Amino acid sequence: MAKTIKYSTDPEDFYYMGVNVPCQAACPASTNIPAYIRALYEEGYDLSYEINRLANILPGVLGRICSRPCEDRCRHGEAELGHPVNICHIKRAAADLKQGLSRPEASPWTPLGKKVAVVGSGPAGLAAGYDLSTIGFDVTIFEALDEAGGMLRYGIPEFRLPRSVLNEEIDRILTGGADLRTGVRVGKDAAVEELLRDFDAVLLAAGCYKSIPLGVPGESLPGVHPGLEFMMSVCSNRPPAIGDRVLVIGAGFTAFDCARSAVRLGAGDVAICLRRTEEDLRVTKDEVLETKKEGINILSLMLSRRVLGSTRVEGVEFVRTSPGEVSPDGKRTIAAIEGSEFVLPADSVIVAAGQRPEPIEAGALKDAQGLAAADRDSFRTSLKGLYVAGDYLTGPSTVIESVGMGRRAAERIARDLTGKAFREKAVRMEEAEITDRKRTWDYLPREEMPAVQPVQERFRRLNVEVETGLTPERAKEESKRCYLCYLHYEIDVSRCIYCRYCIDVAPRDCIKLVKEVLTNEVGAVTGFVETTRWREVNAVVIDNSRCIRCGECMRVCPVNCISVTRVELTERPAEEGLSHD
Amino acid sequence: MTEERFVVVGNGPAGHQAAMTLKERVPDADVTVISRHRGSAYRPHLLPDFVAGKIPEADLYVCPTDSYKEKDVRLRTGQKVVSLDLKERSVALDHKEIVRFTGLIIAAGGKPRIPETLFIFRELMLTLKTLEDAKLWREKLSRCDSVLMMGGDLTSFAVTNALLQLNKKVYFMLDKEAFWPLRCDKATLEEAGHRLFRRGVEVLMERRVKSMARVSSRECEVQLNGDRVRAGIIGAFFGLVPDVRFLVGSGLRIDRGILVDEYLNAGSAGVFATGDCAQIYHPEIRDYWVSIGHDNAVNLGRTSALNLLGECVKVEAARESIFEVQGIRINTSWWMEF
Repeated sequence: MAKTIKYSTDPEDFYYMGVNVPCQAACPASTNIPAYIRALYEEGYDLSYEINRLANILPGVLGRICSRPCEDRCRHGEAELGHPVNICHIKRAAADLKQGLSRPEASPWTPLGKKVAVVGSGPAGLAAGYDLSTIGFDVTIFEALDEAGGMLRYGIPEFRLPRSVLNEEIDRILTGGADLRTGVRVGKDAAVEELLRDFDAVLLAAGCYKSIPLGVPGESLPGVHPGLEFMMSVCSNRPPAIGDRVLVIGAGFTAFDCARSAVRLGAGDVAICLRRTEEDLRVTKDEVLETKKEGINILSLMLSRRVLGSTRVEGVEFVRTSPGEVSPDGKRTIAAIEGSEFVLPADSVIVAAGQRPEPIEAGALKDAQGLAAADRDSFRTSLKGLYVAGDYLTGPSTVIESVGMGRRAAERIARDLTGKAFREKAVRMEEAEITDRKRTWDYLPREEMPAVQPVQERFRRLNVEVETGLTPERAKEESKRCYLCYLHYEIDVSRCIYCRYCIDVAPRDCIKLVKEVLTNEVGAVTGFVETTRWREVNAVVIDNSRCIRCGECMRVCPVNCISVTRVELTERPAEEGLSHD
Repeated sequence: MTEERFVVVGNGPAGHQAAMTLKERVPDADVTVISRHRGSAYRPHLLPDFVAGKIPEADLYVCPTDSYKEKDVRLRTGQKVVSLDLKERSVALDHKEIVRFTGLIIAAGGKPRIPETLFIFRELMLTLKTLEDAKLWREKLSRCDSVLMMGGDLTSFAVTNALLQLNKKVYFMLDKEAFWPLRCDKATLEEAGHRLFRRGVEVLMERRVKSMARVSSRECEVQLNGDRVRAGIIGAFFGLVPDVRFLVGSGLRIDRGILVDEYLNAGSAGVFATGDCAQIYHPEIRDYWVSIGHDNAVNLGRTSALNLLGECVKVEAARESIFEVQGIRINTSWWMEF
């Protein structure tokens, strides 16, 4: 018998997804994580890859360099449950193990006869360009540098992201129909006003290519390198001479890339200097570990006061810092401890303290930095047809955030130019069997990413990829750990006999005796009023925000009153976009 | 009867002292000590003497296990704290139990540090932090004649002494990282090397490990830049790092250890850190400092307990000799006896 499948756009169901599938909710591109992990478990590598690609367009790339906000929210990482599922590396496994890239499907949309210029071919520009071209726009992507990819190509070293992987996925994106023009610096080689005349819309997604200086005395001495420029020279095979002792000042991925590149360029004594602590770093734990394995010191709680040297850099004077509370922007405040000055010697200093966009004259109202000011929800500027997205809008963000934003900007541009929606989010619901997850899988240790050993092997060339990828067996083992939070468990109260067997076997407080169910204004369940007094019990309910989908409750239920529904936040062509005049 | 429920995480010198001080000061308080190790508190600084066979196991213990019961301190051994919830005022144990507290002292201690560059060889190296480690050393020493010592922490020099007394051949690798986290100048390094040499230790200066392998059931071979060494045991003495990974994400400020103020408060009311896991800014040395050594741990344990009970006792500055020699901040007592 065919299974019942329903789609819902009810706010109540979106709310449910946000709370109960935390990994997908945390992903800026809303990747359907449980589904691709399950597909990999079933050894459907191509399917797993495609589920990824539907949302984030760069699975092989992101399987290597994603900042992994999903893993921070993974239920397996909750206090008493162990460690998060290695979601990112399962994504990479799907990319590594796929048989080939699927052929582009025939578009359900017809050409619209409208042209969009995308400025910048980084993750935001590529995502926007791909989405717009696949729904029927005539898209041209302008790239200032020689090749497409933006920071992916010019800011991330090859030992973390092989160019073959990047090229393959960019080529796949461009098969969507977007035209790529490299070596065109918009604002210099072509004016924005000009583009606005030739195109129906222009999206500025030009990234952040200007390094932020420390602003301390001595920073202009020879031997002090802005981090981004250093990385771009390394990625272009034109690295500067850096000597033996290198201090990298900064705490982001760029700082780590600079330090690891410095070691590969022959520096023997490399340290990353942090104003805060290692704990406050936003780079992944894997990155920190591999960096340390390569002999790089990570020094914390120090603030640079001045760069020392007469004709070139000889060292940096620091002062100790005291960490305070975490401010609303998520960063911990620090205070300098006066009197704690100390000096570290250096042959080179790399300043990776952040980046910002370089203003492109566009004729629109400007923000304080001289950039075209834009609304962060609509991406619109004061000029009709001019939009801004990606790091150029927000400042440095992550690749996955840029991809998500590029896609949202594309949808907005499409709506503004046509008055129609082309894609819509919907919650897909399908009856499901009891999961075949075994309870013992909850106790499997996390499969960590293997890396090239011994470490010296990594330094033979600048482009030896450090992480070697999970084998099919190890990837499958890791996929078992996923709790499959897209499975919704529910007790049919009309059939429940209140035997409480399910509560007896529940591994945590996920099944509750309640007297009242709390809902919000859209009717979504927000909580329960529990009771221990039997006469007050109105229902036995499964709290899906606590459920780890072990299936034990279903197995012991004597009256089969517990059902499972597979609920997925998906994207589908919007009806209005499909109907053309 | 007070409603205070004090939990002490760790049963080393600091944790044990903290628990006993709490009980002495508030006899009717509910005091629970949670330790990942089994058995009563012992004196880890005596482990090298135990390895040398100079003292029996019984002399290591601070008190018998029964004494906790007599003092009405609940001792939970073999249980590991895996997380802290400051909002709920509770800790989670690895067997999924939640233990609530009104006051908490974290004395989780340190764990042997293996530099990340040597991670892949860690199975071949022996550390000496626990009684179990010491027993393994004794067993292995009974079957071998030579030991390669790597690193230069407090314990390494005491163990070297013990090995010399046992007439073992000792190789000692010394480099600028030997006194991690402190860096050593050439003169200091040479003096330390010279003192070791005078005692009959073969000193390997400024060598780096290229590879390490077990060549027989009794010997490992270490390939260094320049030469190779065969030894029955490879001792890893790269210092201790505070064992505080379980507090990641708890809201406490973590650097190498738990950052505390001069009263050992960890930044949350009623939550203190003490002993080898507490990191404090020390105005005299103008730098952050993680306490080492048995006596310091006991003092810190007592201080944290008193402050949890509402007193305002400042942490005592450690002796100057621990920090200064020829402008280099290291603990000279580690090797001055050579």
